[in-house]
Amino acid sequence: MTTMEQSQGFKQLAVEDFRISEEPFYLPISDEVELFESAYEQKIPVLLKGPTGVGKTRFIEYMSWKLHKDLQGDENGVPLITVACHEDLTASDLVGRYLLEGDDTRWVDGPITRATKVGAICYLDEVVEARKDTTVLIHPLTDYRRLLPVEKRGELLEAADGFILVMSYNPGYQSALKDLKHSTRQRFIAIEFGYPDRDQETEIIAQESGVDLTIASELAKLAEKVRNLKEHGLGEGVSTRLLVYAGKLIHQGISPRRACEVAVVWALTDDLEVQRSIEEVVTSIFEE
Amino acid sequence: MSSVEALHDQYSQELRGFGSSLPDDLLQGLKELEEIYDQSQLEQWVKIGVDLAHHSLRSWEATSEFFRVSPAVAKKLTFSELKQWSEIGTYLATDASLMSVAFIKATPDTLNSLNFDDLDVWAKQGQRLCRGNWKSIALAALYFQQSSSLLSVLPLELVDRLVDIIDQLTERSYELANSVLESSYAIFSNLTLEDREPFLLFAKSVTRASWADTRLYFERGPKLIENIASSERTIFLDLASKVTMDVGRQGFPLFVDAAQSLEEIPQEDQKSLLKFATDIAPNSAIAAMEYLKSAPFVRSRLTTEQMERWSVVGVELLNMGNAEGAEAYFRLESSRAEEMLATLSARVELPSVSSMLRMYAKALSGEQVAVLSSEDLVDRNIGWISEAAPTTEGTTIYLPPFVNTFEEQNSNFQVYKVFTTHQTGRLEFGSFNYEFNINGEHTESTAKLRESNRLTNTISSDPEISDVDSQSQEVSTEIQRYFNLFDDRLLISGIFTIVEDTRVGSYVNREYGGIRKWLQRLQNWEVERRPEVRAMGLRQAFVENLLRASLGRPDAIRWPQDRYVTMQKGIKALQMVNLDDATVQDSAEVASALYDIAVLIPNVSQEFTDVEWEPPDEEMIQIAPDMPGGGEGGEAPMPASSDELDFENPDQPEFRGEFKPELVQLMMKLKDQQQGQTDGTASPLTKEQLMELLQNSVEITINEWAEGDLASSLGMFLDNLEKDAATPAGEPKEQSGESGDERGGGDGGDDEELPVEIDWFYYDEWDFRASDYRPRWCRVGERLGDEGELDYYQDILQKHHGLVMETRRQFELMRPESFRKIKRLEDGHEIDLDEAIEFYVDKKAGVGPLARIYTRRNKIERDVAVAFLLDMSASTDEEIEKQRQKYQEEEEDFQDDPSKYFQWLAQRRARQAIEPPKRIIDLEKESTVLVVEALEAIGDSYGIYGFSGYGRDNVEFHVIKDLEEDFNDRVRKRIDKIDPVRSTRMGPAIRHAIQKLDDHDAKVKILIMVSDGRPQDHGYGRDRTEKEYAVHDTKQALNEAKRKGITPFLITVDKEGHDYLKQMCDDIGYEVVDNIESLPRRLPTLYRHLAAE
Repeated sequence: MTTMEQSQGFKQLAVEDFRISEEPFYLPISDEVELFESAYEQKIPVLLKGPTGVGKTRFIEYMSWKLHKDLQGDENGVPLITVACHEDLTASDLVGRYLLEGDDTRWVDGPITRATKVGAICYLDEVVEARKDTTVLIHPLTDYRRLLPVEKRGELLEAADGFILVMSYNPGYQSALKDLKHSTRQRFIAIEFGYPDRDQETEIIAQESGVDLTIASELAKLAEKVRNLKEHGLGEGVSTRLLVYAGKLIHQGISPRRACEVAVVWALTDDLEVQRSIEEVVTSIFEE
Repeated sequence: MSSVEALHDQYSQELRGFGSSLPDDLLQGLKELEEIYDQSQLEQWVKIGVDLAHHSLRSWEATSEFFRVSPAVAKKLTFSELKQWSEIGTYLATDASLMSVAFIKATPDTLNSLNFDDLDVWAKQGQRLCRGNWKSIALAALYFQQSSSLLSVLPLELVDRLVDIIDQLTERSYELANSVLESSYAIFSNLTLEDREPFLLFAKSVTRASWADTRLYFERGPKLIENIASSERTIFLDLASKVTMDVGRQGFPLFVDAAQSLEEIPQEDQKSLLKFATDIAPNSAIAAMEYLKSAPFVRSRLTTEQMERWSVVGVELLNMGNAEGAEAYFRLESSRAEEMLATLSARVELPSVSSMLRMYAKALSGEQVAVLSSEDLVDRNIGWISEAAPTTEGTTIYLPPFVNTFEEQNSNFQVYKVFTTHQTGRLEFGSFNYEFNINGEHTESTAKLRESNRLTNTISSDPEISDVDSQSQEVSTEIQRYFNLFDDRLLISGIFTIVEDTRVGSYVNREYGGIRKWLQRLQNWEVERRPEVRAMGLRQAFVENLLRASLGRPDAIRWPQDRYVTMQKGIKALQMVNLDDATVQDSAEVASALYDIAVLIPNVSQEFTDVEWEPPDEEMIQIAPDMPGGGEGGEAPMPASSDELDFENPDQPEFRGEFKPELVQLMMKLKDQQQGQTDGTASPLTKEQLMELLQNSVEITINEWAEGDLASSLGMFLDNLEKDAATPAGEPKEQSGESGDERGGGDGGDDEELPVEIDWFYYDEWDFRASDYRPRWCRVGERLGDEGELDYYQDILQKHHGLVMETRRQFELMRPESFRKIKRLEDGHEIDLDEAIEFYVDKKAGVGPLARIYTRRNKIERDVAVAFLLDMSASTDEEIEKQRQKYQEEEEDFQDDPSKYFQWLAQRRARQAIEPPKRIIDLEKESTVLVVEALEAIGDSYGIYGFSGYGRDNVEFHVIKDLEEDFNDRVRKRIDKIDPVRSTRMGPAIRHAIQKLDDHDAKVKILIMVSDGRPQDHGYGRDRTEKEYAVHDTKQALNEAKRKGITPFLITVDKEGHDYLKQMCDDIGYEVVDNIESLPRRLPTLYRHLAAE
């Protein structure tokens, strides 16, 4: 932690210095950990597919920690640089830009440039949100060349050894407008993330929220039922994250019914009828 | 010669001149009066008669009657009174001798119930009816004839009222007056004393308000009030007459309806209803009667106390001066009334919860289940017969149409939830997945063993049957094969149902802790309602006890003390399915074991056992699950099996509903078969196999079928089953306002042969008087428009080639708007020169500049959806020529020269022969073509709909092009077939279009309605001439559109449109197109403006 400043109550550090130093809780659902490790070894970019809240981000954090531990084992391990993509994200937002400073200009590296330089895991979250012309920018980085052209400076940047590009993508709200170009998606291997099954989810909820296994399994049961309602006014099933929130509230002493109401029912949908139906499922599962 | 003879002789000659019988009558009279009157009185008497005969033409007939009845009269009247009486007779004879005759003749009898003093009044009543013509004379005569009987049932002053009524009727119809008079005695003699006056009073009101109803009233009235408590009849009749005085001719129908409603109400409860009605009558007589009319329905849903609270809201409306609102409220034609009813009522109706329960069931089961009323399943005639029990046939959950079990609404809703959960549980926990001879989680299947044992037994006992038996090995379903293992199919079916329901119940209890409480409540509720065990045969009692144990209430078991071990074995076995993870295979095995126990118990009545039937002890309730083993003796032997009672399976508890695994498996199999999913190994079911299954199955109640024709009934039933299996699983079409997503774009192409399919939707209508919606008032039938010729569309395109190109171009110009430049950015694609210079200047000047000098073009998706609503009312059939004439002065001036006129006429006809006159609808169609062409250029999603109809039940909604549908030749053809139909009920059409737009996802939504006049339809207003109502409803519908974020716009070609459009549209855009022919040009232009906003 080189440039870390510590003052009252907050930490500030440069993006490339961010590392996961403590083991995050992650329960492997299948062979995704081995897959990712192999891909990292072979420098193959990875696309993480799956609905929101199933643990894509948690997975990448976990992998960052794990690689850091396995490969380097010291402070200079694999940093994790995360970029949340949005529709106004431009190429210069990623690569870098000149900023005016008095009469001069100063070049500032964008996150992707920094990642290339330090050899970090560069994680583009919700990549479909970014504009298509922006995503094209990463193409040379993802094939054998591993080059990042920095147009404004007329430079080419070769990626450092530890660098890997990871994107996450939610096929749930697939519309014609928000889909990945084939030229983009065929540069990645794709690891699918689904909802965990009831037992796994029970374990995750219990671990993350601190509720006992009984409550956790009831929550997992609720999730299973609510996910049956997909395509029914529900764009997506309830995420594990929401269940963990519900669990945390219950752990804090909120009644299970109420906790599920705020963390699941209302969070999921605004459609009154769907709300009512899910509420009934909640009241069926949890006693007053 | 006696004085009598002398008198007779003296006058007989004179009298004979009038009529040959008169002298004889006189003599007879004299003889009888001789004993009462003295000589001079006799002389006077004769003189009166003779004078009367002289009085007028034919008055001698009265004399004849006078002579005949005098003796009888003389017994009741003094001589001087008699003289006065005769004077009355005389003056009546002045009007008509016939009337006088009738009067005199009727007198003796009438005097039985009339004082002498009233004689005159009575006579005058008759006289009133007489108006000189023969009909009136006959009526008056009839009156006197009827008087004696009438007066025996009515006091004179009431008879007077009756005469009033009859008198009034004579102004309309003598025939009616006659029949009323003739029937009066019978009616009044049947009424109680107290009822007669109010009955008559109301009759008077009816006659005054609507004379023709009098006959109806006299015919039906007594019957109608018969079932009203005698103490209340007066009040009701008084109320009815007050109402009738208020509302006129409506009064009688209201009375009939209210009386019929009151009939349905127990007499002791009528009092409070009538009191309430009487109280509100002064404010609104109609409301009072409507209240009575609705009372039975309201009472069926509310308790007395709740009904009071419900009524109070109506009274509040009255007190606010909104009488129309109160009337609609009490008529139940108001949303407020229904809402109140729903809020107050404990009863829960299925439609109000079905879509929610459907989602609930889907969530629980993870399958595409539908939720429908049990009535629907019964209608399908595939073996289910109870309209009130929840059940499932594998793809749909059927629930009773309403639940009224408990007194609170929420409890009843919870009942629905328990119903749904249990039925869903059958799907979720696999009740229908039985497979033959598969082991359960806790038991090993003995099915195969049983099957082979059974086969050996049969072969050894009767080798001939074995052949048949081995053939029937080819069974249709797995569960059928299982049931075949048992001789007594009824018994095994009953036991299996109990066991499997126990298992499902146990799962529900474990998995859904939240409804445990309600499940228990319902189980207890059921146990309280079980029939008496002691009255049953022993075997039946055994099964019944198993059911009680299965309801979680082993304490409710009653069983002979000395045979406890048997019962205990049974309950232990039953407990097996309460274990975690028990499957339907376990259920089948447990049921087999229980069958083995039960079949050994003779179904003898309790009289054969002398031991007391005891509730079980603690030990029995707390037993561990176990399958019955070998013989654990130590128990009293079973009684001899002579004199067995008929065995019946216990009734299913309501919340578990009907369970028909055999039929469900069959249906699943049929379905698979029809969808070609047979798994290769199984050969398709033959008709014979199916018939055999149905005949053996105990799940079908045979007596439901037409007697004696079992085979054909089963055949029909089988057809239904197969038909049912052919329809794909999932949701059947719904008919609520919310749905309608089932029908997609008409790109199928091969469903042309099908008859027009109509989807029905219901919409409220705004009643501005009541300031409330009339719930589900209008029924809108959505159908695809008919298809005509493709040529039409092409012709129009050619005809308006120039215009089409022009509008297309105009529309295409709108596209560049889809890029928007965003300025003042710190980063972007281009540098904004102005900003850059400013920045540089600022920097030089040393003022804190911000480097916002970039611009960027953001792409904006055009996201517009529009629905065009075309008026297809009959008036659009009108030729434009004619319309124009209405408004414009006849231009041609023929200067009284007929030849010029004929010339003009001939020209006109020739013109019309070449090109038929254009109608408004033609212009609407042409405009449509233009708009379609333009919209296709710009790519907005649009729908084109036509509307018309007649009455609130039949609003036609023609889909020319649906919003989601692609533009294709079928749409082009449909445009050709836009034809005038009937009326213009705009409200529901607008509401349906709103629904369509609302379901469609777009940022900008527009509704454009093209019409040729004001909204009007049968019943779209208080009466034919009222226009207010329709205008208000349309306005309300347009406002609803605005509330949903839709921009409504009205275009009319009605020149008088400004009058009502101003009122109807308020701040909503509208345009009156002055020159009708400019419509095709105008419509695209208008759209451009609207969509650009």
